[in-house]
Amino acid sequence: MQPFLDDIATLAKPSLYNIYFAAASIPLGFVLAVALALVRASRSRIGSSLAGAYIYAFRGSPLFIQLFMFYSLALSLNISVWKPNGLDWLVLHPLFLGTFVLALNTTAYSAEIFYGALKTLPRGEIEAARAFGLSRFQTFRAVVWPNMLRLAWPAYTNEVVFLFHATTLVYFTLPVINEQKDLMNKAGELFERDYNAFLHFSVAALYFLAISLAIFFLSNLVYRRLMHHLGPAEAKPRVRFAPKYLR
Amino acid sequence: MAGERESSVPPAHRDSDNGFWKTALSLGEPADRSHEGAQCGVRPLDWLIDIFGEDLGFWLGYLGNGKHLAWYASFRFTILAAIFGALIGLGFGLGGAGLLRARFRPLRIAGLAYANIVRGVPDVLFFLFFPLAFEQLVEWLISTQVCSPEAVAARAGSWPPCMEANWFLSTTEYLILASVSLGIVYGAFTANVINGAMNAVPKGQLEAARAYGFSRNQVFWRFQVRQMWIYALPGLSNVWMLLIKSTSLLSLLQIPDIVLWAERLGAPNFVPTAGLVHPDWRWRYYLVLFVFYIILTFLSERGFAWLRERVGRGVVAEG
Repeated sequence: MQPFLDDIATLAKPSLYNIYFAAASIPLGFVLAVALALVRASRSRIGSSLAGAYIYAFRGSPLFIQLFMFYSLALSLNISVWKPNGLDWLVLHPLFLGTFVLALNTTAYSAEIFYGALKTLPRGEIEAARAFGLSRFQTFRAVVWPNMLRLAWPAYTNEVVFLFHATTLVYFTLPVINEQKDLMNKAGELFERDYNAFLHFSVAALYFLAISLAIFFLSNLVYRRLMHHLGPAEAKPRVRFAPKYLR
Repeated sequence: MAGERESSVPPAHRDSDNGFWKTALSLGEPADRSHEGAQCGVRPLDWLIDIFGEDLGFWLGYLGNGKHLAWYASFRFTILAAIFGALIGLGFGLGGAGLLRARFRPLRIAGLAYANIVRGVPDVLFFLFFPLAFEQLVEWLISTQVCSPEAVAARAGSWPPCMEANWFLSTTEYLILASVSLGIVYGAFTANVINGAMNAVPKGQLEAARAYGFSRNQVFWRFQVRQMWIYALPGLSNVWMLLIKSTSLLSLLQIPDIVLWAERLGAPNFVPTAGLVHPDWRWRYYLVLFVFYIILTFLSERGFAWLRERVGRGVVAEG
């Protein structure tokens, strides 16, 4: 029992790195994804197909390769671009670059979800809003946005959980600086010390499970708030643990 | 950027005469010549060079050298892992769905635990954990047979318990283990897909079959399971897409797959006789892989669309 508790204590700090990567990339990805989904659903043919191509490319290729690609691209631009401008400490830092690539990736996945939601928006509500004389922006604010969010929320929650899982890949591809290790790194290091795969990896897995469940719990609170308009008599839908998207 | 472009033209290319052929064809270090794919003696056909000039000759030589041939050959690991991972995953998925639908409660709980724990944990973790754990298990089993107590005592605190019990894993074994762990992870997803598809088979059809006098067993195998595939297909195609993407992780298990070769080929290449052949080109190689996976996804999508159309013939209401 003692080694188990020790592991929980040792892995507490590394888990913060995973949480950091997720927490830093998700808000950025959310904003970009909403914008991208709107472009994808817009009437502009060029914009729509460009957004579609971006979504397809980033959903169709592994995050592992994306991380490698952007890292090596950043490295090869180092001497000509980053160094002269004094940016190399920032751009090549995994805490920045990892977040950046994760954000690009989650943008594509979330944009697909939001786009799907936009397509199933009830037409009548938008027409009613326009008929009432609401401007385009007002329609978006009052009808499109809340509806889209409600429709997309369960799927988006799954995306967030899987983005959190995908943060493990960052330190498999980018350099590990000193003690800045995430859960998998630290579990691997502990494993190399005493070769106890079952203990260390199980504790790391427990961390992932626990944080995933915490995300679902928080998301459910938000979802209940989003579904506030449904009276207590109506059955309230819940966010279900049904991951569908993976990288 | 402009400077970068300039320097990315191989210097060997610039210093004319015979020099660059040698460099183009011998990019692999001497140690690499023993490799199965190495073909240092082969030169591109002269008439091709007459027509297209020396640029093409250089690139043919460069892209056809031993290391590149080894890279092309390493695509087999990715394809094999995807195919066997999918087959094993289908096996685990059917088993898992069987557990999820079992009448005996503990079995049902086991199925739920399998499906949910595997999905609640990153696939990388399983991908690394399963081969390690399996290796340790085998080594422990061997050690109970071959190790003397003294040898075990002498190596206390390290692994394997004694040197005789050491199991050396080569690429083939790692590939098998990787396929199995892909199978376990995606089996959990498949189990849910199949479970849902079994429920999606119209009840009326099963009742009709019963009414026609088929036994319960016959109804299950000849109607429910056979119809299930149609409803499972969209979900299965989704799982397949996930699986091909995670075949990029093979290099984490020391398998010399496409990712590892891309890293090796793209790294700044310095040959003592020719100087710097090319600077850091890794991102180009990763870009090729990026495109490769997108094409693979596209082809899979097409394949599944075709399959769905074929299988869905005569089905009135689709999933």
